Amino acid sequence: MTFEEFFPHIRPWVANLGNVPPGSVVKPQFAVWEVAHILSLIMLGGATILMNLRLIGVGLTDESPSEVRRSLRPWLNLGVIGIVVTGVLIGSANAERLYDSNAFTVKMAALLAGIIFTYGVSGPVAKADGVVGLGPRIFTLLGFAVWLFGLWVFVTSQLINPGIFHVLTAAALIVLFAATGRLRWTYLVGLLVLIAVQSVATHIVIKPDDYTALTPVNKAFAWIFAVWILAAAAVAMFRPARPKAGGRLAQFIGYATILVWITAAAAGRWIAFA
Amino acid sequence: MIRAFLVWLQTSLGKGAGDTAESWSEALLGSLNFWGLLEGTHLLALILFAGTIFVVDLRLLGVSFRRTRVSVISDRVLPLTVFGFGLVVATGLALFFAKPLFYYHNIWFRMKLALLALALVNIVVFHVRVQKNRHAWDAAPTPPWNARASAVLSLSAWILVITMGRFIAYDWFNCGKPQPHFINVVEECKASDDGAVEKAAVVKVAGPAKS
Repeated sequence: MTFEEFFPHIRPWVANLGNVPPGSVVKPQFAVWEVAHILSLIMLGGATILMNLRLIGVGLTDESPSEVRRSLRPWLNLGVIGIVVTGVLIGSANAERLYDSNAFTVKMAALLAGIIFTYGVSGPVAKADGVVGLGPRIFTLLGFAVWLFGLWVFVTSQLINPGIFHVLTAAALIVLFAATGRLRWTYLVGLLVLIAVQSVATHIVIKPDDYTALTPVNKAFAWIFAVWILAAAAVAMFRPARPKAGGRLAQFIGYATILVWITAAAAGRWIAFA
Repeated sequence: MIRAFLVWLQTSLGKGAGDTAESWSEALLGSLNFWGLLEGTHLLALILFAGTIFVVDLRLLGVSFRRTRVSVISDRVLPLTVFGFGLVVATGLALFFAKPLFYYHNIWFRMKLALLALALVNIVVFHVRVQKNRHAWDAAPTPPWNARASAVLSLSAWILVITMGRFIAYDWFNCGKPQPHFINVVEECKASDDGAVEKAAVVKVAGPAKS
């Protein structure tokens, strides 16, 4: 699903964006703006990961979520403003490619969901030290719906759908970091077994160049991984292991906010591949 | 000697019998999805690594987490940074393995490695010397000048490493293109498959450009 399918009549305007400012100005300096985009993404990523890990109940647990948010907010804002401004600039220099890209649709959906989660959900919840009010609850539903749409496009679009493994890998690592004790080891062993079985199935049982047979197997494994990760996250959230800042919903918001931005970053990379 | 090893790595290692057989390096580069997954993972790991080290550096500069002890930020954040760095290195080595000769003759890659070495030396100096009396300034909102200098050096080095890494994708100074003698020397273009083309010689033969 591309922007071309949503807005087919604007192709001439999109095609001309690279010939007029700011696209025409940015084009010769494309690489420099790309670097600024990546640096903004890194700034945003660092701030988002630390703030939302705190909501999950790990990382900077010596400080309250509101203190973590207070310290990270300027850098989070800088990152968001940076990715939007540099994104618009490099996008205008490269508009027709993005217009025809499924990955760009995923990126835009995740960007919108990321902004909703960051400013409508995660930020207010951290400010309230884990208490989830009515506003953040409504924005959680809205952001989650937009993110699910993005994930659906990611999973169902050919050539970019392997990128969903980035989101799964990130989710797997966050849960590994958040889980404790016996759960962590059980979960890790399960993950390693799944990785081993997938490797054998897609390299020995099925020939690596037999794409017709490989695709359904890899899709099935993506679902199995997702179920395993979600199950471990659910156990970690529902067992009373250690005091958390907020309730289960606050933890869920922490997981979701990190993964929404991971989806945006991963989709952005896959624009270059397909 | 290094180049000969990289030629073997790229063209011979893992190569089976037959005309269409590929080395492991060629198979990795030609893979439909694995290459993309590696590159994407490299970027996401970089976000974790650099994003968290930036936060530690900002604390050392005294512009973030001013009420939190430096030791708390280090102890809680650096494990994530180290994990991210491990992932960046692992995926980076795999990406290098797919095109070793391309990277070997690339000026941006060489600059990236030099800056990476500088950043790592800075980490060692920070841990061995600067951090020695941390107890004295652990709770200070603004740490002393040597800790701040180390943070500035760290931020600058990592930003430049990331910049060089991104520039590798651009062919501005690829061997085989007419370019200044200095670039040809730094990239060892003479030894590359594309050879060294001196810009000065090309201009001399073609004559000065007419306006």
